[in-house]
Amino acid sequence: MSNIKIKSKNLDVFYGDKQALFDVNLDLNEKEVTALIGPSGCGKSTFIRCINRMNDVIDICKVTGNIEMDGMDINDKNLDVVALREKVGMVFQKPNPFPKSIYDNISYGPKIHGKGETKSELDEIVENSLRKSALWEEVKDRLDEPGTSLSGGQQQRLCIARAISVNPEVILMDEPCSALDPIATAKIEELIDELKKTYTIVIVTHSMAQAVRVSQKTGFFHLGKLIEVGKTEKIFKNPDNKMTQDYITGRFG
Amino acid sequence: MSNEHTVKSYEEELQFLKDSLIKMGSLTESQLSDAMDAVIKVDKDSIDKIIKSDEEINKFRSKIDTQIMNLLVKRAPMAIDLRETISSLKISQDLERIGDLSKSNAKKVKPLPLDLPDELLGNLKRLGELVMKQLNDVLDSYVNKNFDKAKEVWEKDEQVDDLTYIAMESVIDFLSKDKKNLDFSTHLIFATKNLERAGDHITNIAETVCYLVKGEYLKGSRPKGKVIQE
Repeated sequence: MSNIKIKSKNLDVFYGDKQALFDVNLDLNEKEVTALIGPSGCGKSTFIRCINRMNDVIDICKVTGNIEMDGMDINDKNLDVVALREKVGMVFQKPNPFPKSIYDNISYGPKIHGKGETKSELDEIVENSLRKSALWEEVKDRLDEPGTSLSGGQQQRLCIARAISVNPEVILMDEPCSALDPIATAKIEELIDELKKTYTIVIVTHSMAQAVRVSQKTGFFHLGKLIEVGKTEKIFKNPDNKMTQDYITGRFG
Repeated sequence: MSNEHTVKSYEEELQFLKDSLIKMGSLTESQLSDAMDAVIKVDKDSIDKIIKSDEEINKFRSKIDTQIMNLLVKRAPMAIDLRETISSLKISQDLERIGDLSKSNAKKVKPLPLDLPDELLGNLKRLGELVMKQLNDVLDSYVNKNFDKAKEVWEKDEQVDDLTYIAMESVIDFLSKDKKNLDFSTHLIFATKNLERAGDHITNIAETVCYLVKGEYLKGSRPKGKVIQE
């Protein structure tokens, strides 16, 4: 049995007067990939942004209900958000490397979190992170070149390397492959498979096929509500809810 | 009633596949019934027509295969659409096999003498009628997505097994009366066995329909005829 890493209970999110999430109860298992699917604006990204308190940066956003990681209340006012984000890394839709060298892209996080005090420690973190994100062989001889000089797929793997450089426990991925070609997508998916041995991963995706390929658990959101959640295989072969079926088979009006 | 797909052509492709399968099913029914008639009436004139109709069924099978390949490549179907697509593949295979068995039965008519006694053919006729009814019911269950009806067909296969045994007995009885009957009796035994095997393919189809409707396979082992169990 998998342990529950993150647990949301009666989670509501409001942007001003508009409610974006309604009473979401969702458990994310440790060292598993959970895929979140649903039409645009259904609340998938809002949900994952609750996990690392990214919604804090939006003034009008209000989060109620409960969301816990290993039993710790993520919404606790006294919680150190920087420490939380060290544990919960994030990768976005478009690769967004810093305008720095490949090396600095990776070493920046560990440095500000006080990890890797000597050059050789940092070198090690950079190499390990790039190896884990399957980018090392491609960039080892050009670490001082700008991150932005890499191809789109490489940039995305660089962002994943950057996320894992601070040794997080959870990685959030918000449509990480939507800007990538099929080969770069395949490399990221292969990487996700590898990373799930170490990290708990949540991926938002619009590709049903990708959700089937990479995840063990899938949640379907619609209009801010979690409609159905279950084993990925079950959701895509024989979902219980008609709305889920209509969505994944392309029958949404 | 499920909603229609956002992509109209996808909807049409799935409907086209279902229509093809239904047409293939009704062709298989006519062929099975014609082959049974030919055996019971020892009607040698209809043999060619039955063999020809098997070619039609085979063509349907490859047409359906192509449709399914296209659907898989173009649409990557999910959930009910995936089950519909995969079920069509399986059902068309079983129908094709039933067609082959009917053709084989039609070929068995050639060596039969025209004056076969009624009591010999009575049980074979009953078996044929039961298998026909089973095929008709299972195709109905497919068209109407009727789980209960498919399960009923699945359960009734034990009657097919029992009748097969009885029909075999009567042929063997007849055979034992006179060694001269050996030649064509063998053909009748094969014809009987073919009907039983057609029954098994119908049971496969019933299982597929159950999976199609509910998304899970029937539990437990297939019902076996009492005689066979002993």
